Amino acid sequence: MRVGLLPREGGGTYRFVILFLATIGILISSLPVIVVTIMSFSASEYSSFPPTEFSLRWYVEVLQLFTSEDPSSAQSVVDSTFTSLLVAFLVMVISTLVCIPLAYALARSNRNLREGMELLFTLPLVFPLVMLGIAFLLIAESLQFDLGIWRIAIPHIALVLPFVLRNCLSAMNGISVEIEEAAISLGASPLRAIWDVVIPLMKAGILAGLIFALIISFNEFTVTFFMYTIDLSTLPIWMYSRTVSSLDPATLALSVFIIVVDVFLVVLVDKLIAGRGNLF
Amino acid sequence: MSTELLPRKQALLFAAPAFIAILPFLAACFFILRFSLSSEQGTIEGLSIQAYRDLMTPFFGRSVWLTLKLAFVATLIVMVLAVPLAFVMTSLRSSFFRRLLTISILLPLILNLLVQAYGWILLLGPSGVLNSTLKAMGIIERPLFLLFNETGVLLGLVQTSLPLAVFPIVGAVRAISPEYLEAASSLGAGHWRTFRDVTVPLLRPGLVGAASIVFAFNASAFAIPLLLGGRRVQMMGLVIRDMISPLFNWSGAAAAGMILIALTIFVLAASSWLVRLTTTTKETR
Repeated sequence: MRVGLLPREGGGTYRFVILFLATIGILISSLPVIVVTIMSFSASEYSSFPPTEFSLRWYVEVLQLFTSEDPSSAQSVVDSTFTSLLVAFLVMVISTLVCIPLAYALARSNRNLREGMELLFTLPLVFPLVMLGIAFLLIAESLQFDLGIWRIAIPHIALVLPFVLRNCLSAMNGISVEIEEAAISLGASPLRAIWDVVIPLMKAGILAGLIFALIISFNEFTVTFFMYTIDLSTLPIWMYSRTVSSLDPATLALSVFIIVVDVFLVVLVDKLIAGRGNLF
Repeated sequence: MSTELLPRKQALLFAAPAFIAILPFLAACFFILRFSLSSEQGTIEGLSIQAYRDLMTPFFGRSVWLTLKLAFVATLIVMVLAVPLAFVMTSLRSSFFRRLLTISILLPLILNLLVQAYGWILLLGPSGVLNSTLKAMGIIERPLFLLFNETGVLLGLVQTSLPLAVFPIVGAVRAISPEYLEAASSLGAGHWRTFRDVTVPLLRPGLVGAASIVFAFNASAFAIPLLLGGRRVQMMGLVIRDMISPLFNWSGAAAAGMILIALTIFVLAASSWLVRLTTTTKETR
């Protein structure tokens, strides 16, 4: 007889309670996203659910926001989207470039060093985001020069390092020293062995790390909320300033766009690291 | 055999870029610590614990209490929901449904928090889905206020921190050998009995670890109380921000932040001590 944690048939109250709680969990997780998606197709101004008529008018309005010049606001949605994308790109490239050599060095060095370094690079994960925001703001304000886009990019890099490093490290775990030694014994220099043998084998983990960095930086709100200025803000901040008083259906349409991009990227990560390792 | 292929000097060279990348973070940590000990509110000047002493007010005490209470209740709810979810996730055969479930659980953690706040406002707001349905059914006359109070914040906290518990527990559940469950069942234990006496003890280290991460995450929440609390739920994150934005009390904010960090570290350390305690007693038995 096969006994599982979740009985396939029978099981009485046990099975019922487990399925009931799991359903509540799924509803809490996904209902807000589903409602936002449905309401973005509503034809009316007011948020009555379910919508009586469906239309794409809010999507048209979002397109207009992006194409027409709006002199009233200091930072248009186009500028903030561009800033968001540029920051996400910088964060993605830099965090991955610094984590690949680090992951290699940690995987090939002794255990104590490795554990200590892993702990150090996990710190940004447990550090309260509000405090990071305040601390980076204090530092940026006390500097004598303008940081430009790095004002937002540098804190984001600190935030994504734990995720990128973890992905690179789990990619390194499967690569044994023997493969490298074989390349070296066949005449490759140590650096060449890394470049031509180790890096290609790490590819899936590196890509997963890249995408993780992109997702986190693009969706980041709390730290950016402290760092933004009139001239430099990201898409989440723009959405916040637009809806701080009332909810605007056009922002819902924009949200659906973000949801679609995020879902696509998460599926990609899930496929890349399928079967090996965890998302965290 | 040693796996040390890399000479120490070269290892340091490889680690150097990452160090440079994390340096601003370390500087930020140091800066906060130093500022909290400043005797001036606006600049770093002198050394005093005045900022900490100024925090000993009933208002800040209430905020600490509210933060701990909400984080604790949210953690309890999350754990009650996460264990069944992990069971369901590990017993799903179809990879399509497993992936769908993974995404719907994971999305709240990474998706722009504003989008989720919009969703909750549409669902539970004064003219939202729930209130208009209940009104149409004639159950209520005036709308229920579920948002912009502690209930709304609690829901948001549960939603965003659920994935932090589900995925580690999934890992722990996978590590349980089905033979234990079969043994329990063949000895006549029912499902509840097996759950209480076999599954939960086996999962305990994973459960404590997941709960402590969820608690630390929720205690330092900022965006959720800001967006769903409507300024009325003064969790520590919001209090710290208010010290800066209208009050310009930098050293006070730094000191309050140090207290928040100390609470977080205390909870994490206590839970890892708890795990070590329970595992060593198991080994000596």
